[in-house]
Amino acid sequence: MLVLARRLTSMIEVSKLSKDYRDDGTVTHALRDVSFSIKPGEFVAIMGPSGSGKSTLLHILSFLDRPTRGIYTFLGNDMQTLVDHELAYTRNKEMGFIFQSFNLLSRASVYENVELPLLYAHMPVGDRRHLVEAAIESVGLSDKILVEAGKLSGGQKQRVAIARALVNKPQIIFADEPTGNLDSHSGAQVMEILQKLNDEGHTIILVTHETYTAEFADRLIKIRDGMVESDIRIEKRRHGGKDFFK
Amino acid sequence: MLLRDSFKTAVHGLRHAKVRSLLTMLGIVIGIASVILLMSIGSSAQSLILDQVRGIGSDLVFIVPGATKGSRFSSPPSAQGIIIKTLTERDADALRREQSLLAVAPEVRGQTKVVYQNNDLTVTFGGVTHEFFIVRNLELSSGRTFTETDVRSFNHVAVIGSKLAETLFGSQTAVDKTIRVKNLSIRVIGVLDEEGLGPMGVDQDNMVLLPLSVAQKQLLGIDYYNLVTAQANSAYTAEFAQGRIVSVLRQNHRITDPDKDDFTVQTQEDALSLLGDITSIMTVFLTSIAFISLVVGGIGIMNIMLVSVVERTKEIGLRKALGATNGDILQQFLLESMLLTFLGGVIGILIGAFFVTLAYLILSNTLATGWAFSLPPSAIGLAVTVSTLTGVVFGLYPARKASRKDPIEALRYE
Repeated sequence: MLVLARRLTSMIEVSKLSKDYRDDGTVTHALRDVSFSIKPGEFVAIMGPSGSGKSTLLHILSFLDRPTRGIYTFLGNDMQTLVDHELAYTRNKEMGFIFQSFNLLSRASVYENVELPLLYAHMPVGDRRHLVEAAIESVGLSDKILVEAGKLSGGQKQRVAIARALVNKPQIIFADEPTGNLDSHSGAQVMEILQKLNDEGHTIILVTHETYTAEFADRLIKIRDGMVESDIRIEKRRHGGKDFFK
Repeated sequence: MLLRDSFKTAVHGLRHAKVRSLLTMLGIVIGIASVILLMSIGSSAQSLILDQVRGIGSDLVFIVPGATKGSRFSSPPSAQGIIIKTLTERDADALRREQSLLAVAPEVRGQTKVVYQNNDLTVTFGGVTHEFFIVRNLELSSGRTFTETDVRSFNHVAVIGSKLAETLFGSQTAVDKTIRVKNLSIRVIGVLDEEGLGPMGVDQDNMVLLPLSVAQKQLLGIDYYNLVTAQANSAYTAEFAQGRIVSVLRQNHRITDPDKDDFTVQTQEDALSLLGDITSIMTVFLTSIAFISLVVGGIGIMNIMLVSVVERTKEIGLRKALGATNGDILQQFLLESMLLTFLGGVIGILIGAFFVTLAYLILSNTLATGWAFSLPPSAIGLAVTVSTLTGVVFGLYPARKASRKDPIEALRYE
């Protein structure tokens, strides 16, 4: 049963979430009893060394993976009660994704890449155009709209990916190391855009291992060995800028 | 995903690997082209053969000496070279008295050398009566046919086929020329129109027709017939006439046990259905060989689609992350393989049609008899259906594989 309640005090509720991987009889505990909640409009950075379980957590939060134990409630829906196509539907309607390696269709144009989520939303052609154009404009790539994505620079690619994450007007955006493959200037641009999106009301969950990037958030959850090490509110940086990334 | 968008995505996918797509299609193209070519040539050959047999007249009943044993595909003994002398003048006379028959034309057959001046060639001759021209519906381009007197008084006259006339006399008129047939001097009294192949595969354009008496007694020295052709009276069906003939002959030959018949009576329908069956079997046989190449082509499609699924693992992961369901992914890959085979089918049909036209141009010029152009809609329909189905059948496995990929694993894939 899928209920998409827009006004809830918490957007994400995670309670005693665990994820085990079994491989040849050995069990790896990627997440152990993780609990927290995230309110709409928060900008949360999840940090931790590699192998800490932060990617696993992001995958579960973004409905790409299911937990082994525990309860995850997104917008009032217990994930356990949702079937695969409902998860896909929610990903499509309420979630935006930004990946470290951009994951664009390099042979397709900027327009076609940004349009992709709308295709899976069964949106008619006529309604798609202005949404796609607006999303591309908001990341400042209107002049590249018909360029093949593969021909763009890294920073531009990530901005296309952001436009793609935005186009469905999702409530939450998951960013997995969005600046990891970028030079500092492009990284700053990307973070500024994310900051702007957060200001406009999008909830943002950012996975990173860079302290500087994390400082754009207003809350920092540190993960270590599959457990929440710390969960603190931080002073949100308001002026990323170039010097910041040097 | 809307079908229209899926379609666009599939076209995109194929366009990005043009050379590969074309090479993959090749198997289907060749398969479909051969199916089209063989089916259409089969149908042309069938209509050619059936038309010729049909041209003989649909109310004819053929009586050959000897029984047909076993299946209807076995030929009567006379056609196997066994000499059977049971069909005689007495039978022909009895049949002439039969009311359901309009005409009875006994004949004998043989091979002989025909000489005119320096030209000589070996041809089939037929010993016939004036009735022969009626039942066979043979028209003359010049001269006259035999009279009853010609047969009764052993007149040394002949009616010859149109091609033979041309070979022997060139542009000169054939009528009233004297030719040597074996050791007889024969005067040509008539030339047949172009007639093509007759029953039993006799080339009627290269044939010499002699009065029955001359051929039977003087050339062959026999007193039996090789064939009697009877034409049913228009008031009766050929089947009825067939039954009457059987009973007259049994009476004449004093046969009580039907298994011991020493003759075979066939209507033209029998011959037609037999020939139709034979050509159909040939067509099916040849077409099924062509289908083998389709299967091979299909395996090629499956192979390439599997490679494509692996290559695009990351794309699949991304699409799933963005909200594609398993069904969306399945549809995308299935449409791609169907599009490949459908396009392959269309190209195959065009290439097939090209060769059918080529075959038509060549055969209609080399075969004097009318080779009809035939591109049966059923063949085209079959080709399109089969090629698209090939895409479904051989694309389903790769598409399912793609749709079941785990999105995280797929996204991580390098």
